[in-house]
Amino acid sequence: MYHKTLSYRVFTVFNTIGLLLLSIACIVPLIHVLAVSFSAKSAADANLVSLLPVDFTTEAYKKTIDNPLFLHSIWVSVKRTVIGTALTLLLAFLAAYPLSKENSEFKGRSVYAWLFIFAMVFNGGLVPFYIVMQKLHLIGSFWALVLPGAVNIYLTILMMNFFRAVPKELQEAAMIDGAGHFRTLFAIFLPVSTPAIATLGLFSIVFHWNSWFDGLLYTTNSHQFPLATFLQTVIITRDLSSMSLDPTSLALISQKTVNAAQIFIGAMPVLLVYPFLQRFFVKGLVLGSVKE
Amino acid sequence: MTHLKKYWPLHLMVLPSLLFLIAFSYLPMGGIVMAFQNFKPRLGITGSEWVGLDNFRFLFEREDSIQVIWNTLLIAMLKIIFNLIAPFTFAIFLNEVRKELFKRYVQTMVYLPHFLSWVLLGGILLNVLSTDGGFVNRILESVGFDAIPFLMDGSWFRFTVVASDIWKEFGYGAIVFLAALSNVNPSLYEAAEVDGASRLKQTLHITIPAMLPITIVVGTLALGNVLNAGFDQIFNLYNPLVYDSGDILDTFVYRTGIIGGNMGFATAIGLFKSVISMVLIFISYRAAYKWANYRIF
Amino acid sequence: MRAKFRIALLLALSLVMIITLAACGGSKEDKSASSDQPAQTGTKTDEGAAQETSPYKDKYDPPVTITTVWGVDPALKFKNGETIENNVATKWAQDTLGIDIQSLWSVTNTNNAYATKLRLAMTSGQELPDVLVVGNEDAQLIQDLIDSGAFQDAGALFDKYANEKWKTAMDLDKNVWNPYLREGKRMAIPILDYAYNNDYLLWIRQDWLDKLNMAAPTTIDELEKVMEAFKNNNPSGLSPDKVIPLSIGFKSSMNTWMGDPSWLFGAYGTIPQQWNVGADGKLEYGSINPAVKQGLAKLNEWYTKGFIPKEAALWDENKTSEPAVAGTAGIIPGPYWMSGWPLQDTAKNDPNAVWKPISLPTGPDGKAGRHGTPFSNGVILINKDMKNPEALFTYENYMFDNIADPQPGGPFENGLFKGYDYDVDASGNPVYGDENVQGGVVNAVRYLLVRDGARIPDAQMKALLGLANGKEATTRMEKDLKNNFGKETPAAAKVLMGQPNISFMNMYTGPSTETMQTKLDYLKKIEMQTFNEIIYGEKPADAIDKFVETWKSSGGDKMTEEVNAWYANLNK
Repeated sequence: MYHKTLSYRVFTVFNTIGLLLLSIACIVPLIHVLAVSFSAKSAADANLVSLLPVDFTTEAYKKTIDNPLFLHSIWVSVKRTVIGTALTLLLAFLAAYPLSKENSEFKGRSVYAWLFIFAMVFNGGLVPFYIVMQKLHLIGSFWALVLPGAVNIYLTILMMNFFRAVPKELQEAAMIDGAGHFRTLFAIFLPVSTPAIATLGLFSIVFHWNSWFDGLLYTTNSHQFPLATFLQTVIITRDLSSMSLDPTSLALISQKTVNAAQIFIGAMPVLLVYPFLQRFFVKGLVLGSVKE
Repeated sequence: MTHLKKYWPLHLMVLPSLLFLIAFSYLPMGGIVMAFQNFKPRLGITGSEWVGLDNFRFLFEREDSIQVIWNTLLIAMLKIIFNLIAPFTFAIFLNEVRKELFKRYVQTMVYLPHFLSWVLLGGILLNVLSTDGGFVNRILESVGFDAIPFLMDGSWFRFTVVASDIWKEFGYGAIVFLAALSNVNPSLYEAAEVDGASRLKQTLHITIPAMLPITIVVGTLALGNVLNAGFDQIFNLYNPLVYDSGDILDTFVYRTGIIGGNMGFATAIGLFKSVISMVLIFISYRAAYKWANYRIF
Repeated sequence: MRAKFRIALLLALSLVMIITLAACGGSKEDKSASSDQPAQTGTKTDEGAAQETSPYKDKYDPPVTITTVWGVDPALKFKNGETIENNVATKWAQDTLGIDIQSLWSVTNTNNAYATKLRLAMTSGQELPDVLVVGNEDAQLIQDLIDSGAFQDAGALFDKYANEKWKTAMDLDKNVWNPYLREGKRMAIPILDYAYNNDYLLWIRQDWLDKLNMAAPTTIDELEKVMEAFKNNNPSGLSPDKVIPLSIGFKSSMNTWMGDPSWLFGAYGTIPQQWNVGADGKLEYGSINPAVKQGLAKLNEWYTKGFIPKEAALWDENKTSEPAVAGTAGIIPGPYWMSGWPLQDTAKNDPNAVWKPISLPTGPDGKAGRHGTPFSNGVILINKDMKNPEALFTYENYMFDNIADPQPGGPFENGLFKGYDYDVDASGNPVYGDENVQGGVVNAVRYLLVRDGARIPDAQMKALLGLANGKEATTRMEKDLKNNFGKETPAAAKVLMGQPNISFMNMYTGPSTETMQTKLDYLKKIEMQTFNEIIYGEKPADAIDKFVETWKSSGGDKMTEEVNAWYANLNK
């Protein structure tokens, strides 16, 4: 068998080495950022840190975590990510089914599809969007973080294409058994879509967890901030040419270390989610059971 | 009526999404009219002066507009193409790994750079690519090459922008391809093996075809970014020496539209970008349908 | 099918747009409707009385309300569960002045969030506050807000209600009002800041000079000799390629707040990238002054000799401070406060390092020049529907009288609020610092309605000069400067003041002119390109002539005309 052939073994060796190098290339800069986050400010500001922390300190993490807003913002983030992802997945799951039909099976499908695409490409900009948000009384509400992004068109289209890969025979069998569209969707499509849902779920979780600009614009005070927004406000970027000076702000201007720590505080939960979701990608785990 | 009777469940399934789109996409789209106005905040959308195509004229009458559009298009297209090829290839190679643990390790590691911000990466790249003792140039010099001005020479700058973006995003982009591969029925490989097909043949005839539909979809949707060359990245990396090859529509809009408060102009550029994207998506959709007999959406 | 789809799509889209337009129109009406009603309750009764006597009071009873919005400094901390809406300063204003400060909304001001929200509020017809404080970092926004017509003639109110102390401070530089003039009316009150904050001098490694037995350079020629020695004969034993004799950068500008080369051009008689008063008394764009050519040629020479960073074109302000802090740079240009930050960290990386401030070196004709710092850092805008504008002045007058420069014996001699920015120990002495104040120090001055309460432009420099000349620190400001601003700061202030009258202020502070709106960005771009290409030797210094020609013909001349029309109008 092919595993045994010499050429395949040679390939495996090179493949392994190649992938290993690739993974190192991806992780080395992260190690640098990690080292900066644990280094003394004086060393970081002087650009003296490479891959190991200089004068190890957890000051940068303390600075972020000590803030009373920190824990609260995590709670807001968890809430928005869970509710937002659930909503996104539900909407995408529902809409993808009819959209995955052939034009002949569902007249009007094309109109819907193009309405989705059009909405993906065109947008009116921030001002009218803000007006709409205001009219809907969403400014200052938790739902401002969830509802506007609830329909993720990109994910809907991906889901739709995953559905197309579901064997026709399965659907037809269900229909012959007298199942309606809703039954078919939930009884047939749902179980075979685990990898797709895991993938889209991951995208959606990352999206919700990392979004910060909406948290800044559509809230009315800092107690409504999700974590990503809160972290943005910890990094102090400003233009000194027009700021008033005092020693407290001088000490806080350069925050390389905090900036670095922020990445890890912010991304850690998402980083942990991925390996967990990976078990849904194991080949054939699901579809293997529905061999034709 | 018969149509509704037969199809109502299907319509009902789209309805929730559609309502959201109307509220949060189509209603605000009315703001596109700002592209044709000399928009003044105090006058609002209803009161601002109509200026026809003046905002667009302003874009095209600038001495460097062709240059800027060309830079944008070139950088964006290269990113679209390579951000498709790189994760695609990576997925194929990763698919050959038989040790599950190693596979997961690689998969997780390459996915990490996605979470770094360009502000931070800008600083790192400045160090790593420096012609004055940067890591990459030290290696190049040690094997006898001249130091390369990655960030200070126009054509190298484009290369750096595209390459660093691929480095950052390929692992994340590969997720969708790996998911597509997990959809492949293992019995297909088993059958091929029984037929005596080599691993290369199996890759060509099973693995790649399994990823093709999703590749076409992702590629087409990426065309929506054909004039988005990556603001955060370029803004953090560019400098006066590479304005000729690095200035893009978004940095230009940032300087004149956002900072300058010229919202009509910013909207006009947005509309211009959307129209071009839409046209390309449409062409790509038709092409995929015609030649691959595949409806992307 | 296709046709039907297109029609359906078109119909849907046009319907949506109509709805949106209606919605936008509606928001306008809402605004005018709501502004007819009094913004707050409890103020109506005052109106009758206001007819006869001045409504201005030192304390209001019943209290009056001022609404505002906040762009909260990200560095600002709170304690005791307080917020920007409700804290020790708002309570203080209520108790002492009878002024109730109400927040319509607040946002942590990062990534321009405050400006964006204000712009959106202005455009979407949201209620604007009685008093709006905006920083100069959003200069264009200030102009747009003034032109929105929602604010009133603040100058008239200022003349009527401001106290002497405030007026005297404002008179230190008449130009502070210039940006906000509209047909003779002063539409916003400038927020005064300490003067000279960003005026440059040079910081030099005194320990290196000492070891080399060299005196501090006073001319550009001498400076070159020093840089040569720093590089090729480095006292810390660094190899030439590791030393950066002069740490400067110009990634986005030749004229910024730290580490730029503007002062070199100053030595030849101009400051680039701003509007200076020319020999004929008219405004002239600094970058087209003939002196620029000499400055660029010099920079090119320094680049070739390795005196400035090889990748200076990629370096922004913070990057220029890196080698300085690391101990590998010999000279860095910048403001007088740099010994407080970033340079105080150098000692941690190179224990022998001693940074000293020196005067800017002079050019061949004995000239020196630096860019000046405006005396203001933002504005106060007063809503034209504000019921009790006098209350704002009650508040600010109090600030100028008591907080701008509190003297020993006054209510604020030790600090602003006890338990916030200072505390008192068992024996009654004031104590400062996180370790002494229970629950940590918070910068309560930022809780005040107008940023930093009140600042008198020359107060800080006067205090610093006093300290530099050996005066004991007695007032709060003096103590603060002595304890918190870095030990070389008073000396640096003295060096700075040793070169009076060499500052070039940017004299054009008006709104973007018509030509600026369409041409300025492109002109700036080719300017930066040409400058950099000359410095990097890609083009000869003569290329500047071509640039000046292009600049003039592509809108520069027109801009100069517009700018001068504005300038001429000021002095009428």
